[in-house]
Amino acid sequence: MNTKEKLKQILIADLNLEELAPEDINDNAPLFGEGLGLDSLDAVELVVIIQKHFGIEIKDMEEGRDAFKSVEALAAYIDRRLAAA
Amino acid sequence: MAYTLLLFVVLYYTLFRPSVRKRSSHYLKRRFPGRNPLFMLWDSFLLNLGIGRTLVDRAILGILGPDSLKLSLEGKSELTELLNEGRGLVMVTAHVGCWQLAMSSLSALDTQVNLLVHRDEGDLDRHFFEHGGNKPPYRIVDPAGYLGGTLEMLQVLKNGEILCIMGDRNMGGDSGTVSVDFLGGPVKVPFSPYKLASATGAPVAVIFPFRDKSGGYALHVAKIIRVPENLGRSAHAYIPFAREFIGALEQFVSENPYQFFNFYDMWTNEH
Repeated sequence: MNTKEKLKQILIADLNLEELAPEDINDNAPLFGEGLGLDSLDAVELVVIIQKHFGIEIKDMEEGRDAFKSVEALAAYIDRRLAAA
Repeated sequence: MAYTLLLFVVLYYTLFRPSVRKRSSHYLKRRFPGRNPLFMLWDSFLLNLGIGRTLVDRAILGILGPDSLKLSLEGKSELTELLNEGRGLVMVTAHVGCWQLAMSSLSALDTQVNLLVHRDEGDLDRHFFEHGGNKPPYRIVDPAGYLGGTLEMLQVLKNGEILCIMGDRNMGGDSGTVSVDFLGGPVKVPFSPYKLASATGAPVAVIFPFRDKSGGYALHVAKIIRVPENLGRSAHAYIPFAREFIGALEQFVSENPYQFFNFYDMWTNEH
């Protein structure tokens, strides 16, 4: 399973988005607001989730800003960080 | 001289401006239930005098400098120990006393202080340092920024810095709030301080800056709250910690009834 698919499953499980299936999540839709419907405080949860499931600590929040644009961007960020580790 | 003039100004506004009395009545009716109208008028005068004094004191500091008023930080060693844990420190405060003076006294901790506050040009409560054109002793995190400033707040805590948040009023709408009882009725308060603490492991210190009997200002550490890590997304999980904060606030207003400056109806859902 690629990072994107794994990420979608984790988001659904950990953010209690049970009404969604992985295929319902558009790769490029915004995570916050009208896309996945997350609110600003969920960003805190996302940081925790990324650390818990991928062992990646987002220390520089400017990086997070770019990564949190969509599932596609977040998966690419995770892959980059894992490759660099 | 300024305090004498203030007495007359407050007396005028209390007696002849019903809107001023109304704005203070929401809290006073809860703090002093069953008060007769005459005593309520007196309470309103004292409350307005309280906010007036803090405005005068702030101006005095701005004009005459930090040595013109006594500022003390109670619990400095306790706060230092919390900072030494290296996970940052969430300070939750309320609209009590004079928060601008509190920010100044925190400089004794030698740690960067960050304040979550939305600023508009012409704000009444601009810090006295800003009025003088000087750099304020804190950095502002704007809740109107990207993702409500959430990532910035996380960064602050990861850097081991201090993050100050008003725990008695949410910035914009009811999202991010939980309902807890304050002075006998439900109010909505933000749960973000406790969620941030849970995500980062940072301790939470409830602090109240207040005007003491000597006319100086003290910053009092009322409570330390420990939020377990990884409590998750549900707002419900953070209610016990919001209750702890509100319990400390109730204690504060029972001891300092005329130093609570939330001049709107916290108990209505229409805010």
